[in-house]
Amino acid sequence: MTELAIRGLSKRFGDVAAVDGFELEIGDHELISLLGPSGCGKTTTLRCIAGFEEPTAGHILFDDRDVVGLPPENRNIGMVFQNYALFPHMTVRQNLAFGLEMRSVPKSEMAERIARVLETVQLGDLGERYPRQLSGGQQQRIALARAMVVEPSILLLDEPLANLDAKLREEMRFFVRSLQKRIGITTVYVTHDQAEAMVISDRIVVMFDGHIHQVGAPDEIYSRPVSREVANFIGLTNFVEGRVQGADAAAGECRLETAVGTLRCAYPETLDVGREVALIVRPEAISLSAAAPAESGTNAIPGRVGERYFLGNITGYRISCADDLLLQVQDDPWASFDVGDEVWCTFDAAHAWIIPD
Amino acid sequence: MTDPARVQSTGTARTASARPSRRRWNPTHFLVFPTVGLLVAFLVFPYLNMVVMSFRNPSTSQVFAPGFTVGNYLDAILDTDLYYLEILWDTMVLGAATTAICLALGFPVAYHLARTSSRFKSVLYAFVLSPLLVGVVVRCYGWIIILGNNDGLINTTLMDLGLIDSPMTLMYNTFGVSVGLVHIFLPFMILPLLGAIQSIDPALEEAAQSLGASRLRTMLRVVFPLSLPGVQAGTVLVFVLTISSYVIPILLGGFSVMIMPTLVVQQLMDAMLWPFGAALAFILSIAGALVVYVYFRLTSRAIRGIA
Amino acid sequence: MTTAPDPSPIPNESAAARGRLQRKAGHVLYLAVVVLVYVYLLTPLVIVVLASVNAGEFLTFPPQGFSLRWYVAFFESEAFMGSLFFSLRVAFFATIISTALGVTVALYVVRFAGRWRERLRLFILLPLLLPEILTAIALLFFYYNAEALLRTLGIEVASGVFRNSVLGLLIGHVLITLPFVFLGISASLYNFDHSLEEAARSLGASRLTTFRRVTLPIIKPGIIAGALLAFIISFDLFNISLLLKGIGVATLPIQLFDYVRWEYDPTAAAVATVSIVITVIAILVTEKLVGLRSLRF
Repeated sequence: MTELAIRGLSKRFGDVAAVDGFELEIGDHELISLLGPSGCGKTTTLRCIAGFEEPTAGHILFDDRDVVGLPPENRNIGMVFQNYALFPHMTVRQNLAFGLEMRSVPKSEMAERIARVLETVQLGDLGERYPRQLSGGQQQRIALARAMVVEPSILLLDEPLANLDAKLREEMRFFVRSLQKRIGITTVYVTHDQAEAMVISDRIVVMFDGHIHQVGAPDEIYSRPVSREVANFIGLTNFVEGRVQGADAAAGECRLETAVGTLRCAYPETLDVGREVALIVRPEAISLSAAAPAESGTNAIPGRVGERYFLGNITGYRISCADDLLLQVQDDPWASFDVGDEVWCTFDAAHAWIIPD
Repeated sequence: MTDPARVQSTGTARTASARPSRRRWNPTHFLVFPTVGLLVAFLVFPYLNMVVMSFRNPSTSQVFAPGFTVGNYLDAILDTDLYYLEILWDTMVLGAATTAICLALGFPVAYHLARTSSRFKSVLYAFVLSPLLVGVVVRCYGWIIILGNNDGLINTTLMDLGLIDSPMTLMYNTFGVSVGLVHIFLPFMILPLLGAIQSIDPALEEAAQSLGASRLRTMLRVVFPLSLPGVQAGTVLVFVLTISSYVIPILLGGFSVMIMPTLVVQQLMDAMLWPFGAALAFILSIAGALVVYVYFRLTSRAIRGIA
Repeated sequence: MTTAPDPSPIPNESAAARGRLQRKAGHVLYLAVVVLVYVYLLTPLVIVVLASVNAGEFLTFPPQGFSLRWYVAFFESEAFMGSLFFSLRVAFFATIISTALGVTVALYVVRFAGRWRERLRLFILLPLLLPEILTAIALLFFYYNAEALLRTLGIEVASGVFRNSVLGLLIGHVLITLPFVFLGISASLYNFDHSLEEAARSLGASRLTTFRRVTLPIIKPGIIAGALLAFIISFDLFNISLLLKGIGVATLPIQLFDYVRWEYDPTAAAVATVSIVITVIAILVTEKLVGLRSLRF
């Protein structure tokens, strides 16, 4: 199948750089998500790959062949649009046949391929319906089928699940993922929903303001973000500002001096002593206790419970610590501290991470 | 604002105890009387009166003679020279041709206007509207200056340049009339098309291209079929306007291009044959309505898929 | 969807280059058509204006020089000046009457008509749907017969109370312009957010106060746009005016029509330009007050 390489891609609209210096290699069979807030350039990047936007600079290579300048109809892509863009004046079958007709596929083969793809998306008996007679989820699957029946080199999905209700959206994540794995098609998936990106992707590309901040597997993006933006965008995060006190790259540990005392953190690189950095720790990595922890290896910060909320699987707290530091903590639902209680927030050095600004 | 409207629309609601005043005369009905009165008195009655007029006996000394006849219709239809039917046919052909040309010229403009993101969009929109808002006589006069057979701008310029020796006949013929008709009715084609194309999701065009369709095929297979409601509205509008146009054929065609409206007005104003003129007007209306009806039947099937 | 031989869908370099060229050529052709149509739409209007300030008897290319002599001829012509003011008067009164009727009937149709709404709407749009020339003919016959009918009923009417009078002409203009006003106002009423009125009522305003202080200001753009469109339409109306004009009075389009049928001198261009300018002023006023988009056809 196809490998996709994007080299130095930039796209400007007037004075605004929508995408700037985008570099990415996408392997065969891989599913890559472009994740970021709206206006971060992810959709523009996708539209450059599809050919709907002409890049200002850079190259887009399908298996080493530069497709920049090639109109979309000659790129052999499959694309799924946010609102599905099913042709309302054609039946499902005619929608599916459209791309095959453009490729002059013989009639008999066409019927066979349509039947097979309808089977794949589990909508075998809906061929004669019009799109408006289908539910949102069915329309979504037909849109997927229409993009795949032409056996494209690359599959491009632009927020394909955004218009579905929450329950169906979660189901469709797994459907899309398993389908993609079964067919093994190189796929670029644009979304602003971090949970969706986590579930679906082999790797995630996190973008802000037209720039790539980080590329990595979902767990890597979550536990070892490279910038404040990434840490903030993916899940809840506590930031503790501090100064490097000492770092030991060999042991993979770093000590920080902060307003709430010395904190330890796992970090593989050496940082200059005195450098201002931020320590991040996720709410679920912190546990609460009434007494100070006995062992000296863990980080411990004293505070007072400011607010408390119950979410079923967890209980959340907002802990006011020294120096206006507010820690978000998610603890077991049965651990019960009340508003006003004095508590200790403890977390392991291995669960903290440093963002060198 | 709720109560009167509700009472009206629910009609037979059995909640009389809750609304004892339900049956009472509602003063808001007075709002509608002046307009409806005007339309009944000066539109419905006149048209009924015109039907009656078309069956009156002709007279040479008065507007009409006592008694009724179907002779006016028979005279027009059974005329041995087929004079009137030929003019009717010419009228329909002119209408169809004008409509087709307007569609061919209007579609690209409507598409461009619907899809452009230019900051001059509202200026372009005003350009499309502008001919519509300037009187038809003024616009025809502009064409007279341009097309004039002896002193027109085109003829004098081409002769000055030595490209032609003698002036071309650009006006007082079907060509001149067509140029004027298309010009004047083009906005009536563009505006409904514009509305139809604007309501087509641009993602549908991108979807077609992502599936391998060229721009032309995207137009033919996606944009045009989806804009059929606008096409239908625009074509019917232009056709009806053309077959009932009077000023343009007179000014740009003189009397060498005779179509039904010019004939009817001639019968009324010059020959003072009111009953016969009325009959001719109805023959034109019925023929036009028939064409539009058949056209609607034929195109509605194509449109049904959309909606 | 499992395995199929790759049909090598990406064309080779030269084919791609050729495709790109074809695509570009097609696009240029399309843009050329668009530009030409705009030129076609605007040329006659531009030409009329040019002819009116051209010194010569005929517009030639290049023009023979700038002159206002045709405007002088226009302003000195009693027939043209008379018909200009007559036209403005008719358009003014037609606009007032059809706006008043349009506001009331649009309110009724949108708010109170209930199940009769669609039929009533269609009825009010009838003058727009029927060919203007037919309506003109029907009115011509009707005015003639109506006078005779009134007299046989014993009602004393002056000869030509409808026919050959401004009243008959004015009624025709009101008929034609009414649907335009109605469309503009009912569209803004349909788009009206009812919760605004409910909010006013909840704050203690009476129905009348609510209408005056909330409803009317919000639908005002629709009313203004409809009224200005009515003015323009009436000012340019031809067929009705042709068949219903009285003896010795003609609206500007009729006067112009009679003139350009037999005369070629550019006084007509000056007249036409003045009428374009009046229309442009009306459009600019619309644009300034409510935006061109409020115009509805």
